[in-house]
Formats: sequence, C-alpha cells, structure tokens
Amino acid sequence: MATTPRALTYRGIPVWRHALIIRWVVQIVSALVAVTLVVWFFANIVGAIQERDIPAGFGFLSREYQTPIGEHFIPYESSDTFLYALLVAAINTVVVAILGVILATMLGVLIGVARLSGSWILSRLMLVYIEFFRNVPLLVQLLFWFFIVLTLPPVREGYVFFDRIYVNNAGISMPGPVGSSLASASAWLALAAVSVGLGVLVHRVLTWREDRTGRASYPLAAGITVAVACGAAAWLIVGSVVGEAPLVISSPEPYGRFGRIGGGFTIRAGLLILLIGLVIYTSAFVAEIVRAGIQSVGRGQTEASRALGLSGIDTLRHVTFPQALRVIIPPMISQYLNLTKNSSLGGAVGYTDLTNVAITMTQTAPAVSIFLLIMLAYLAMSLTWSLIGNLYNRHIRIVGG
Amino acid sequence: MNGLMKLVIAATLFLAPMLLIACSRETPEQTSDPAAAEGSRLDAVKARGNVVCASNNGIPGFGFIDENGNHVGFDVDLCRAVAAAVLGDADAIEIVPISATEMGATVQSGDVDLLVRTVTRSSSRDAKWGNFAYTMYYDGQGFLVRKDMNVPSVLDLEGAAVCVTQGTTTELNLQDFSNQYDLGIQAVTFEKTDSAVEAYRNGQCDAFTTDHSGLYAYRSSLPIPDDHIVLPETISEEPLAPAVPHGDEQWYDIVNIVMSMLVYAEAYGISSDNVPTAVTGNSKVDRLFGLEGSFGQETLGISRTAAQDVIRSVGNYAEIYHRSLGDDGIGLPRGDNTRNALWSAAPCSDCPKGGQIYASPLR
Repeated sequence: MATTPRALTYRGIPVWRHALIIRWVVQIVSALVAVTLVVWFFANIVGAIQERDIPAGFGFLSREYQTPIGEHFIPYESSDTFLYALLVAAINTVVVAILGVILATMLGVLIGVARLSGSWILSRLMLVYIEFFRNVPLLVQLLFWFFIVLTLPPVREGYVFFDRIYVNNAGISMPGPVGSSLASASAWLALAAVSVGLGVLVHRVLTWREDRTGRASYPLAAGITVAVACGAAAWLIVGSVVGEAPLVISSPEPYGRFGRIGGGFTIRAGLLILLIGLVIYTSAFVAEIVRAGIQSVGRGQTEASRALGLSGIDTLRHVTFPQALRVIIPPMISQYLNLTKNSSLGGAVGYTDLTNVAITMTQTAPAVSIFLLIMLAYLAMSLTWSLIGNLYNRHIRIVGG
Repeated sequence: MNGLMKLVIAATLFLAPMLLIACSRETPEQTSDPAAAEGSRLDAVKARGNVVCASNNGIPGFGFIDENGNHVGFDVDLCRAVAAAVLGDADAIEIVPISATEMGATVQSGDVDLLVRTVTRSSSRDAKWGNFAYTMYYDGQGFLVRKDMNVPSVLDLEGAAVCVTQGTTTELNLQDFSNQYDLGIQAVTFEKTDSAVEAYRNGQCDAFTTDHSGLYAYRSSLPIPDDHIVLPETISEEPLAPAVPHGDEQWYDIVNIVMSMLVYAEAYGISSDNVPTAVTGNSKVDRLFGLEGSFGQETLGISRTAAQDVIRSVGNYAEIYHRSLGDDGIGLPRGDNTRNALWSAAPCSDCPKGGQIYASPLR
C-alpha cells in the first residue's frame, strides 16, 4: 500500500499562534474583565445604598447648613447653604495650601542651599533638620506644635505689642485692612488687579522694545509706576463714589466678658499650627530636592563659572540654579500635591479645612455624596498644581538646540 | 481545540462567577436571629447562660474597665440587673464594647440581647434600631467653664470661644443655641474630644461643651477639678435608655420591668442590704419581691422572686447611680428636683419627688 508522502506545504501561521490575533484577544478580554469589575463594583455600591436605605443624592446642597465653621476667609453665616459652606471650607484649604507652598518653598530652598554650604557646622545642622522632620509622622508633628502653641498664655493674659498686636494661644491678631463695605472693597480690588495687569503689559512692551532697539526703556520702573498710578486713581474714584476709603485699617481690640480679640486681621491658632506643621515637614523634603537638583549640575559648570570670576552667590543664581530647576520642578510639584492633601489633617489641631467640615456635614447630609464632592475638590486642586508645574516646566526647558 | 477557543472558555469561566455574584446580590440574606428563629430570646438567653450586652469600655461613670479589669459603670449595672432577673446571677453577662457608629447595626442585627451604651433615644432610632425601654438617665448638652470667670448662666456666654468635638450633634446644638440667643459664640472644632479638652484646659477656649455626664467625667480628669464648674442649664435633651432588638415583645417587657424594679426599690426604700425575704405587710413591697400576689412574673417567664436577686446583687436605682455617677463615681449631682431624681408618690419621708425617673406601677 502506497503511502502518500506528507506534503510539506506551508499553510500560514495557525490562528492561535498569530501574534496579531493573540494581541487583540488579550486586549479585548482584559478590557471586558476591567469593565465587568468596574460595573460590578458600582452596581454593588448603588445596590447597597438602596438596600440599606442610605441617603444619597445632592438635594442637600441647597439646604441651610446651620453649623459653625470656625475659620472663614469669605463672609459666612450659619444660615448659608451646604454648597456655600463647602466653598468656604474649600477656600480654607486653598489658603493653607497656597501659604504653605510659598513658605515651604522659601524655607526649603534656604535649607537645601545651606545643606551644601562649605560650613561644616551649618551643613550638619541642616542635615539634622532634614532627617528629623522628614522621618517623624506629620500628625505627630502637628500635635507637637498644637501643644507648643497651647503653652502660650491664654487670651486675657496674652502678650500685647505696640498696643496693636495681640499674641496668645488662640492666635495672633494684628491691624489689617478691612473693606468698609463689601461692594466698594471688591470694586477696588478688581480695579487694582486691572492696574497690576496694565503694569505688567507696559513692562512687557518696554522689555520687547529694549530687546529690539537696544534703547534703555526702564521697563520695571515704568511698569510699577503705571500699576501704582492706576491703583491710586481707582482708589480715589471708588472712594469719591462711595464717600469713604474702600479699605480701612482696623485694629484688633478685646471685647466682652471673655476678652476675646475682635477686629483687625487674625491668624487663629488652628491655621497657625497647621501652617507651621505643614511648612516645616514639607520644607525638609523640598530641601532634599533642591540639594539633589544642585548636585545634578555638573561640577564643571561651577568651575567654569568661578574661573570666569563669578562669586559663589552669582554662580548659584546665574549658572547652577537655572540648570538645577529642570531637575527640581517635577518632584517639587509632587511635594506641593502632598502639602495640599496633608492639609486634611487640620481637624486634629482645630482648623476647619475641607475634610474637617465634610466630616461634620455627614451628620446632616449623605456622607457618600459629600465625600464624592470633596474628593473631586481635592482632585481639582491637585490637577491645578500639576498644570502650573507643567506650564512652568515648559517655560524653563532648554529651547533651541 | 484551538487556542482561541481555549481563551474564550477560560474567559467565560473567569467571568461567569463574577456575573453570578453580581446578580445574586439582588437577594440579600435575611439577618438570621437565632433567638427569633428557634423560640423566644428568653429561652435563648437561658440556654446560653448569659446576657449579651453591647456597651462601652471607655466612658467614665457609664461603662469602663476598673483597675481589676472588670466592666463597671451605670450601663453595665443595668445589664447586670437584667442577668440577675433572668438567670439569678448578675455576673452572667458578656459585655461587647462597641463604638457609637456601630450602635444601630449591632442592635438591629439581634446579635446582642441588650444595648446599654449612653444611647439617646429618638423616634428614628426607635423605628429603625429596636425598642427603647424606660429612660434611665436624663442627659443634656451643657458647658464647662472656669470658675474664676464668674459666668452665672449659659446665657452669659456672649462672645465666648467654645471648644467642641466635630461630627457630633453637639456642634449643631451649639450653633442653634448661639443663634437663638444671639450670643456670637466662636466655635473651635476639634476632631478628637481629648484635643478639645486640652485646648479648653489651656485657655484657648473659654468653655467646653458636650453632654452633662461627659462634662463631669472630663472635669474629674482635670488637674484641679474645683477650678471648673459645669453650668447648671442644658441646651438639649438627651434621654439615655437601654434598647432591645425588635421582634420579641416578651424580652422587651422583661427589660422594661427590670428597669422598673430598680426605680421602685428606691421609691419603697429598699436597697441591697434590706431586701425582704418574708412578708413585710407593705403590699407594694411584698408584690415587688414576690412575697404576695403577682405583677405578672409568670407571663414574663421570670421567677417570682426575681426582684430579690436584682436588688440584692445590683442595688436600687439610687445605689447604682451613686456607685458610678454620683459621689463615689464621677460626681454628677442628683439633687431633689433635678431631672434624675425620682418622681414618686411612694410614702417615704426622704425620697426626692420632683424628678423624672419613673416607672409604671407594679400591679
């Protein structure tokens, strides 16, 4: 019996070993699994919410909140709505975040530079500072500062400087500008912002002219002059329309049986403690980032700069630091995000930040909805920091090439 | 079988259980209550040999752990009274310490026989959680202030900074109170009560606010308690009562009547050291202690002399109060005409009569 020889004809790659097909199948299956998991997860949450009769929804936002918010930077009454109260709380968090980031950056850069100082003792001191504050939990530090601030005398026995500045364990009060009325103050502030904008514009134009023509145009002096002149003009106009100055300086003064301080500008203990804690903690990380950034710039750059006769400070300012910035910015942004998120510990030291207010709100409104909202708020804040960071990063990147 | 097929089958096997889980969620399991399923809770308690009470181990006066490691306090004694009535042994209890957020779910599930944990009764809790027995302590939100500030009343707190714990109704009540009397109170909110007390102690606030019972407890923990006073008025009503799971009326009645026993023993002047074992001639006393007639012990399924066991081992209401809340405890005063005094028509000469602690007549 004759056997047919097996044909060695090539019939192409079998379908189950076809790279393209396998790749697609894997993609589709993992997409299916991911979608199923997500749908299952949310169906479970929604189901559980309905089943247990947990209230949800956002109808509460227009209800009156009826609860105190200790610290507020915009006018707040307990008859305001939940939505407005959330805004008040979000502004509290934003204020801490912005002040904290500015102060932590300044302190961190100083410490980072000092860490690299030629002085052995200064460098070692900064090392101790960095290692100490970086390695102790933030909550522990905050509670430490809480107890430190509490050792200040209470309000009735507090320190008074120049008859105007009150320092006690409830906070620091000092004379500050207060709008004589909300309308006139906001009108002037808006006009002042326009004036600053005009000043910047003049500065830009004159800089451009100077660059183009080489004629000295004094852009900075001209810009400041324009801004100040416009601001002063706005002040006079608003003042004459309203009949009184848009902002008046108000001095703090004790009142009532308990001698609490009213008027002026007050940094309350909660804000003070939270700021001290966040700034010191974050500055330790910033210092390390700055040190790493400066050290990443090749030694040759410094040597060349010194050979050209630049002083140590000038070398840092004009040669090392600008190059270090490109390394510094991305990790710095993540520290800014951390600081913003860490401000949610404010409740521990008596500051009404967004999280603190949200926890209180769950007493009278659906917790799931509130926390969904504040998660979105934190996300928005973090994305704003990232956006600012990315824009700045693009601004300072190496151009040309 | 080709590879594609294998993948499809594997994927199906992987996904199917998930879909099943997702779908099966539609039929929630009925919370199984062993007591309700196999007869009364009373039978279950007797078979088990102890009464399981959800309580607390961290509130001085009400429910805490003493230096010997025992659960003690006002709430714990109420649990002991129920055990004494039902099992004849006040020590046959098991305390399950729970947090404030677990209260509802714990009593709803029926896993415990009794919830005694400084819980304020309210209509929605009554509807959702379980049945509330008699109010055993009338609490209310008040203020702790420094004595040298000479604050005569809560209405003189104008412009005060008040430390408060966040996330509690206390915060809401404080705002209501401040608005109502236009006091301009400045609230300083803390996440933890300990921090709020610490801030008050150091003068960051002029007053600390929480329920009266809490104020006395925290006051007793301050270095010099006498430098601070609790203002007499309250700005809210917090009636504290034990609760039992829904669905067993007999058990609910038993708990209620045990609470009555404590109150009536005080009203009739019977304490742990003069519990009668023979007919006294006072028909009310004799009926309470099972020496003559009946107040319904048979229907309830407890022994005729249950009250003897209860009062002998736990004491009457006054004894329980003084042991944990009064002079021997956290120093909460119980004057003649305060809410937590008796309201009673009992013929005893020194019984306070103007209070709200009261139980239905035993007859």
